[in-house]
Amino acid sequence: MDSRAARLTPASVPSSIAAPSPATRPGGASPAVAPLSRDQLREIYYYLRLTRTLEERLVALYRQTKVIGGLFRSLGQEGESVASAYALERGHNKDILSPLIRNLGSMLVMGAQPIEILRQYMAKAESPTRGRELNVHFNDLEKGYLGQISHLGDMIPVMAGIALTFKLRREPRVGLVYIGDGGTSTGTFHEGLNFAAVQRLPLVVIGEYNHWAYSTPPEKQFAVKDLAEKAKGYGVPAVTVDGNDVFAVYEATRSAVDRARRGKGVQFVEVKTYRRKGHAEHDDQHYVPKDVLERWSRENDPIDRYAQRLRSGDLVGDADLKEIDERVRVEVDQATDACMNEPLPAAETALPGVYVNPPAADRLWFKAL
Amino acid sequence: MARVDVLMPQMGESIAEGTLSKWLKKVGDSVKRDEPLFEISTDKVDAEIPAPAAGTLAEIKVQEGQTVPVQTLVAVLETDASAAASKPAPAPAPAAAAPKPEPSKAEPPPPKPTPQPRAQAPSPQPPAPAPAPAMKTADGDGGGVQTAEQRLRTKSTPLVRKIAAEHSVDITRIPGSGYAGRVTKQDILGYIERAPAAPTPGPRPQAPGPGAAIDHPTVEPWPGDRVEPWSKIRKITADHMVMSRRVSAHVASFFEVDFTRIAQLRAKAKQTYAERGVNLTFLAFIVKACAENLRKHPIVNAAVSGDSTIYRAEVNIGIAVALDWGLIVPVIKHADELALMGIARAINDLGERARTKKLSPDDIQRGTFTITNPGGFGPFAGIPIINQPQVAILGVGAIEKRPKVLTADDGAESIAIRTMGMLTMSYDHRVVDGADADRFLADVKNLLQEFPEGAV
Amino acid sequence: MATREVTFLEALRQGLWEEMERDERVFILGEDVGLYGGAFKVTEGFSKRFGESRVIDTPIAEAAIVGAAAGAAHMGLRPVAEMQFIDFISCAYDMLTNYVATARYRAGLSTPLVVRGPCGGYVRGGPFHSQNPEAAFLHTPGLKIVYPATARDAKGLIKASIRDEDPVLYLEHKWLYRRIKEQLPEGEEILTPIGQARLAREGKDLSIITYGATLWKSLEAADQLAQDGVSVEVLDLRTLLPMDDAAIVNTVKKTNKVLIVHEDTRTGGIAGEITARINEQAFEWLDGPIMRVTAHDVPIPYAPTLEDFVLPQTDDIVKAARWLAKY
Repeated sequence: MDSRAARLTPASVPSSIAAPSPATRPGGASPAVAPLSRDQLREIYYYLRLTRTLEERLVALYRQTKVIGGLFRSLGQEGESVASAYALERGHNKDILSPLIRNLGSMLVMGAQPIEILRQYMAKAESPTRGRELNVHFNDLEKGYLGQISHLGDMIPVMAGIALTFKLRREPRVGLVYIGDGGTSTGTFHEGLNFAAVQRLPLVVIGEYNHWAYSTPPEKQFAVKDLAEKAKGYGVPAVTVDGNDVFAVYEATRSAVDRARRGKGVQFVEVKTYRRKGHAEHDDQHYVPKDVLERWSRENDPIDRYAQRLRSGDLVGDADLKEIDERVRVEVDQATDACMNEPLPAAETALPGVYVNPPAADRLWFKAL
Repeated sequence: MARVDVLMPQMGESIAEGTLSKWLKKVGDSVKRDEPLFEISTDKVDAEIPAPAAGTLAEIKVQEGQTVPVQTLVAVLETDASAAASKPAPAPAPAAAAPKPEPSKAEPPPPKPTPQPRAQAPSPQPPAPAPAPAMKTADGDGGGVQTAEQRLRTKSTPLVRKIAAEHSVDITRIPGSGYAGRVTKQDILGYIERAPAAPTPGPRPQAPGPGAAIDHPTVEPWPGDRVEPWSKIRKITADHMVMSRRVSAHVASFFEVDFTRIAQLRAKAKQTYAERGVNLTFLAFIVKACAENLRKHPIVNAAVSGDSTIYRAEVNIGIAVALDWGLIVPVIKHADELALMGIARAINDLGERARTKKLSPDDIQRGTFTITNPGGFGPFAGIPIINQPQVAILGVGAIEKRPKVLTADDGAESIAIRTMGMLTMSYDHRVVDGADADRFLADVKNLLQEFPEGAV
Repeated sequence: MATREVTFLEALRQGLWEEMERDERVFILGEDVGLYGGAFKVTEGFSKRFGESRVIDTPIAEAAIVGAAAGAAHMGLRPVAEMQFIDFISCAYDMLTNYVATARYRAGLSTPLVVRGPCGGYVRGGPFHSQNPEAAFLHTPGLKIVYPATARDAKGLIKASIRDEDPVLYLEHKWLYRRIKEQLPEGEEILTPIGQARLAREGKDLSIITYGATLWKSLEAADQLAQDGVSVEVLDLRTLLPMDDAAIVNTVKKTNKVLIVHEDTRTGGIAGEITARINEQAFEWLDGPIMRVTAHDVPIPYAPTLEDFVLPQTDDIVKAARWLAKY
């Protein structure tokens, strides 16, 4: 087909993909972020590897018709998802984040289990949403994650509301919400961010500049160069960091989270990264030059870079990393085997839970014939 | 060893089919779990499809280049029988087939004669299922509390009511095969086709035997003759006439009435009545006179049932109306409770609705006495046939000016021009004796001849 | 006359293409419609043929898309605004109902735009990729709503909608996109009049009034019922607003029994409106209650077993029709 040969204008090919762009910080002193311990470094690596392996398994299942509906990978974005979430306080009723479709890593960090993800994708009766919602659209407010709905931007005002309760109750808790470059064009992004900003809510917004909203490049999405510039329009301090540098993302988010927790209002962290797969599994990304993808894969994979830093900095050894790889592989296999043959939800379970009262929707008359 | 099916995946919501572009393994090859097995191409994307389990490729069902709907079986793997990786989870119900008629699946419960649409939730639902359609008696709509099924059996649906009105059929007399035993369109049309006896109200369809249609003898037409098959209403009428004469012992009494006073009262009141939208006719006075006197002479307001006489509680006077397409008898209910104005108005209304086919079944039921009035071009007198199951019918002859002998108070006799009309009452001599009939008619005559002006 | 087999989607694409060629005022705007050719490939090839200025890739901003289309329409252009999934039309609800629908009435403003997008379920898309929003817009005077079920009408109605002087909401069912294939004549102008229903199947015992994907399920059901000796008439509404009262009344007068089938929920679904109109205009011809087969009053769930239960299926229609035929 002709359209497969369509090429981008040169302007949309990212220029500096090999060298990570320098992080920019807002002016003024900010407390240094404590360095990560060896255990923490290993733990981050575990989540990175888990995210990727789990998604690879999901792709296989998708192609084996086990996964129903769409599959949206976060290949290339695992670093920023994991690193940003890792900067939050995790645990029971601590910080809360709202992931987008490519923030599986952030959910795993907050305690979502691989088996839950697999069950969601396979529409199993035992899935967290009992088969009602797709992929990562589920939540556990106590563990600290609130899944999105498909209408982009909507989670900003919702998370603002959650952050509002933290403020009203004087809890030292922070909300964190992700938004893609495309999502920043929506009305609810604008309204949510403005609301949060003027209310000085403890909310950190992670703007994921991954270069693509489906097939739409940034120059067709907005007229600014960086998402951080938009934040300024709301009176929100913003930084831009290399989204594929786990350490940079962690530090920037940690600073932002700390400031938010200290009552400094909304903080915006733009992470520059790249979406290396199509919008979803059914999109072959023909509109992205193959060499661009190859270069990001070869030279700027967040997990490879992180592992390299660990090794070269003598922070974590190769054997440890391989052990984690293997452990993750087994974990994903076990989770898959545990739920693969579970049943789908029984038909009649579709009716309860629309309201508290009445407890179930009517079963329509013709079903009884 | 276990069998694992490999299906054509759905790569995108609207994708309905995929082409198997290349096999990466051949039959007999062993495959690892998630190892690429074959390649597909769809409208949106090409992809490598990984094996769902470790094992051997046992069968290939779809060849390279073949395009099949999603969820089609593409290959079969033989796996080592480990519990975990054995059979695939129940595949989602195939939703993707192009719409073609599915083979009709047998429903477990056998078809019921009446449908049972009951649902649990307290929400608007179709009426509860009834047992086998039981034929209820026709007095179902008397009294306050009526169930939905009762209403359905007596009133059916708008369409059936419309057909019933058009054909003067009593819905309650027709066996119903529909839901809750109601009369369906097919039931009533079938009933009308078979055309049993006249639309009479009353309890069971019994003797005088309207159940069976009457066979009229056939006659050979001669060349040039025009044979016109009867309309339903003609058939009903014809059968009724024959039956009535067979059943009742018809006798007639003739009373000549001086309508001069009525004519004067009518002339005086006509304008006032017209201003109130009512056309005041001689018939109204006659109906009024009868209504007053039927209470006093109950034997004339009765019915015969087997070896009993039924004395009707109500006085409902039917007025025969001749329409282009046949005879119909709408009924003035409770005529004895109406003033002259009310009776005149009722006559107007019923006549209008009869002509425009807007009578409801209720309008033509439960008459207790009938008056037939041919009007201006009618005969001097006629001998009408009783409207079953009543016991009397009053015919009104032409009302016109005739010479009459008048006796003055002092006994002097003279001949005057008076407005006269002959009333003929046919009655059933099984229960109405001559004296009964004559007493009734005498009272009617007297009332007409001395009609109080205050009652106009 | 030569014919060619086309899918519903291809027929829609042809209609759009023909109108773009015929009238240079027609242009398309939406997310991923140009370079990518649309999420479902409806506008594949358009950008190359008509240029980027007539196939505009927008930011993710449904309210802006509809609002901008309105402004352009006032100035004499003929915009066709795409909602990537019709589920996102809710983001543009204010624009479409408050601004666009009222424009002519309150301000004499001509706003001949088309808003189109893929709707409908049966595809395991979950609550936000399966919606049928027609009921939300039915009570919006000033707006027209069309909903083709056949490839022919997909083409005929998009062309008619673009040419219509009033704003039109065009709903295209994603499940039908590639599943419906029809032979369409080539070289012939195909136009489906807006406001006109179509008798998809003649019958005499019972009428099914429907539209969209459930047209096909109703036809399947009719085939099954024919084997039972029940003759089912199927009326495809095609246009929901303005509704073809005459066609509805005619079929009621003919068969005296009506089953309304639609994929939208029972409560608030437009079956209620149709029922009210039949009651008003054809009460005397009813030999049974007007019944409906619809979705249950729940958000559309994702799992196949749940979705299959919630949405109306052929089997449901067969059972309902059988019940009504026996009434």
